[in-house]
Amino acid sequence: MATESSESEEEGKISGGNEKLILDDDLREMGKNAAWSVSSCKPGNGVNTLRDDNLETYWQSDGLQPHLINIQFQKKVRLQLVALYVDFKLDESYTPSKISVRAGDGFHNLKEVKSVELVKPSGWVSVSLSGTDPRETFVNTFMLQIAMLSNHLNGRDTHIRQIKVYGPRPNPIPRQPFQFTSTEFLAYSTLR
Amino acid sequence: MESLLVNSVEKNLTQFMFSNAIFLCERLLADFPSEVNLQLLARCYLSNGQPYSAYYILKGSKTPQSRYLFALSCFKLDLLGEAEAALLSTVEQQIPGGAAGHYLLGLIYRYAGRKNSSVEQFRIALSCDPLCWEAYAQLCSLGVAEEASTVFGNVAAQRLQKTHVPQRINFSEGETKDQLIDSDKASKDISVWQTEHVPGENQQDLKVKQLGAEIPPDTDNQRNASSHTNGWDLNTPSPVLPQVLDVPPPMLYKNMRRPEVEGLMSVHGEPRKKFVCEEESSEAPEESRRRRSARIAAKRKIPMFHHSPSESNGVPSLSSMIGKCRIQSSKEATTSGQSINDTGSSVDDEQNSNPRGSSLDPFSLMSGISEMLNLLKILGDGHRSLHMYNCQEALLIYQKLSEKQYNTHWVLMQVGKAYVELQDYFSADSVFTLAHQKYPYALEGMDTYSTVLYHLKEEMRLGYLAQELIAIDRLSPESWCASGNYYSLRKDHEAALKMFRRAIQLNERFTYAHTLCGHELAALEDFEDAERCYRKALSIDTRHYNAWYGLGMTYIHQEKFEFAQHQFQLALQINPRSSVIMCYFGIALHESKRNDEALKMMEKAIVADARNPISKYFKANILANLGDYHKALKVLEELKDSAPQESSVHALLGKIYKQVKLYDKAVLNFGIALDLNPSTSDAVKIKACMERLIVPDELETEEDL
Repeated sequence: MATESSESEEEGKISGGNEKLILDDDLREMGKNAAWSVSSCKPGNGVNTLRDDNLETYWQSDGLQPHLINIQFQKKVRLQLVALYVDFKLDESYTPSKISVRAGDGFHNLKEVKSVELVKPSGWVSVSLSGTDPRETFVNTFMLQIAMLSNHLNGRDTHIRQIKVYGPRPNPIPRQPFQFTSTEFLAYSTLR
Repeated sequence: MESLLVNSVEKNLTQFMFSNAIFLCERLLADFPSEVNLQLLARCYLSNGQPYSAYYILKGSKTPQSRYLFALSCFKLDLLGEAEAALLSTVEQQIPGGAAGHYLLGLIYRYAGRKNSSVEQFRIALSCDPLCWEAYAQLCSLGVAEEASTVFGNVAAQRLQKTHVPQRINFSEGETKDQLIDSDKASKDISVWQTEHVPGENQQDLKVKQLGAEIPPDTDNQRNASSHTNGWDLNTPSPVLPQVLDVPPPMLYKNMRRPEVEGLMSVHGEPRKKFVCEEESSEAPEESRRRRSARIAAKRKIPMFHHSPSESNGVPSLSSMIGKCRIQSSKEATTSGQSINDTGSSVDDEQNSNPRGSSLDPFSLMSGISEMLNLLKILGDGHRSLHMYNCQEALLIYQKLSEKQYNTHWVLMQVGKAYVELQDYFSADSVFTLAHQKYPYALEGMDTYSTVLYHLKEEMRLGYLAQELIAIDRLSPESWCASGNYYSLRKDHEAALKMFRRAIQLNERFTYAHTLCGHELAALEDFEDAERCYRKALSIDTRHYNAWYGLGMTYIHQEKFEFAQHQFQLALQINPRSSVIMCYFGIALHESKRNDEALKMMEKAIVADARNPISKYFKANILANLGDYHKALKVLEELKDSAPQESSVHALLGKIYKQVKLYDKAVLNFGIALDLNPSTSDAVKIKACMERLIVPDELETEEDL
């Protein structure tokens, strides 16, 4: 899990953010095999800006709250972390405040997995999807929906500059129950 | 004016003043158009890296030398068909350029995928010139090399003898200072080296010069401080050709400068045994010979400086420029003083002179030849064994070399590769580190070094290596392979892919870069593209078994187990001793339900390399899947002792104990597995297993209560 945000467990408030996204080694970005869509957007600030690796461009919604980002996969995937780049200093009232992450098979059966409140974030904010139970480390789902329920200063529309979704790395050795950890095993496990 | 221009051009070429040479050559051609001068211009262009120019001016020429140069230009421009046509279209049945020509033709055939023809050509090249090591190396990499002892044996000795003996005239310096000569020679060497990086060019030049000899030898006797020209009248320049073989060696004049007749008028690119100092001579043949030998020496990639500091009067610094295998050993330079028999260093006792040339009496020549052939035999054997993946033997063979030869870059790379093939990455690491320290400029083999560091997970050292290599040469594919490996180690597969693609751009035929690309694409789960990359690698070099392995792995990932088996089988045919390939072959067999064969394959893997823990682990896994828990447990317990830090071993143990209802042991092992830092998903799995174990116990205790 990402370690940087100061999150208080009880209320799910996140303040601050990081310049750089720092992650565990065994996380892998899963967004490439997904279909991304948004509930509404202003022309020129569409869904592409969320995935262009450019922090200057942003998505701007253009409709009623809650604003939604939908991420749909072709098969069930295990997801662990969602990272958003938002900046209060730049976007002020466009900065999202309450965010709800929902998961399910499709639009019809989404259920909330996590809810966080951002307080003047500036930089990368990581939302972990894990529950307290170790069995709930991953969310195994077809679809993820990120809902912006409200913004700072009661703004109507929202800006998100970049979004990334992470899941566990698969075992590089095929058909094996467990991954290798020691250098020796790993050295012998592949030819390069 | 003509000879003046010719000499100037030659001089410019040796001093790397290519644009000047081209300019002068154009003047020459304008006033004295002739085939020879045309060839000279072509040489200038080729030296200046303009094969296209050489191509155009030589198009249509018929003389053998021109055709050879033309074929060379075509080859550099990747026009293989024309190159082949040029080399083959000959009224006389001989391929121009001799051994070099055959070698070039062999390369052309190889690039075009015509394996048998190329093998034939390489063999002919070797028989013409036993010192054409590259031909032997190509045969090794094609997997069809004969034993080194036959190739570099008596027949070769006779061949060398025939071509060397009659032409020797010792050439000694007389008054000229060593240093002057040395430096001159060195510069000439360098110049020659750089001008001639293609085998056989020297050959060509010799011929040119041969013909050039017909140019009125208005000796610019003043040319250099050297007043050797007088001696050169002794030489019989061009008409010589094969007739020279019949000329008895002239008498040795002590303390006098003598021109050295380079005997190799014949079609071999035979390097001169003696390295004559490089007085520029107006005599074209002399120059050509000298130059040719320097080039030949350079062709062998001998480091330029053989001036052994220990050289005293009687020690020829470059006496051993016979073009020993790739790296000239300083040993030769240093010992040449002492070892008379060495590579034909002058035996004679020239007091103040610096005899640079091999001795002229046939006896020492013979001993020189035999010594060299012995060296080549060892290296050939080792190289061949390595390509047959007979690595233990290769290592033993290389141990036979003298320490100085062993510590040369080429040999160290071979040794390193042998260790890599044996999966002994630690030893490989030490060898490569040593080699890199000693020869930081030598980039060949550094891609393998980076792979070693990748396997050892040495991120910092790998990053440092990559940066170093790129700083040394941005245009070498090895540097980019190293940086690609670095990014791959950090799991940034996209960046790694970019680096490997750059390496490919720099050299399309760099097989390993294609394979590495394939690995990265497989890691990104883009299996189709990965397959394409692997097949591209295989189209360049069918014996690159890593690519077969990669293909097999992609098929396993895609669950196409039959295909996977096929690939692994092919890989094993090439490298029958690789336990890793056997392991995955076994997995493919197991997944195809051919379990007996799978287990047998695992056994083979275990026997092939006892230190490989994976084979035992896989075996245990297969046994567990088949329900044979006790055997599996046995294997795993052994494994646990030899690899106590591996989480997956304990995890698997736990799982099996659970199956056999030994819950205590299961829990114990799961606990240890968790302590050993498994990946997150594994941790989740293990915890889940543990929980399910504990529940039955609780139920029991509750019932008791």
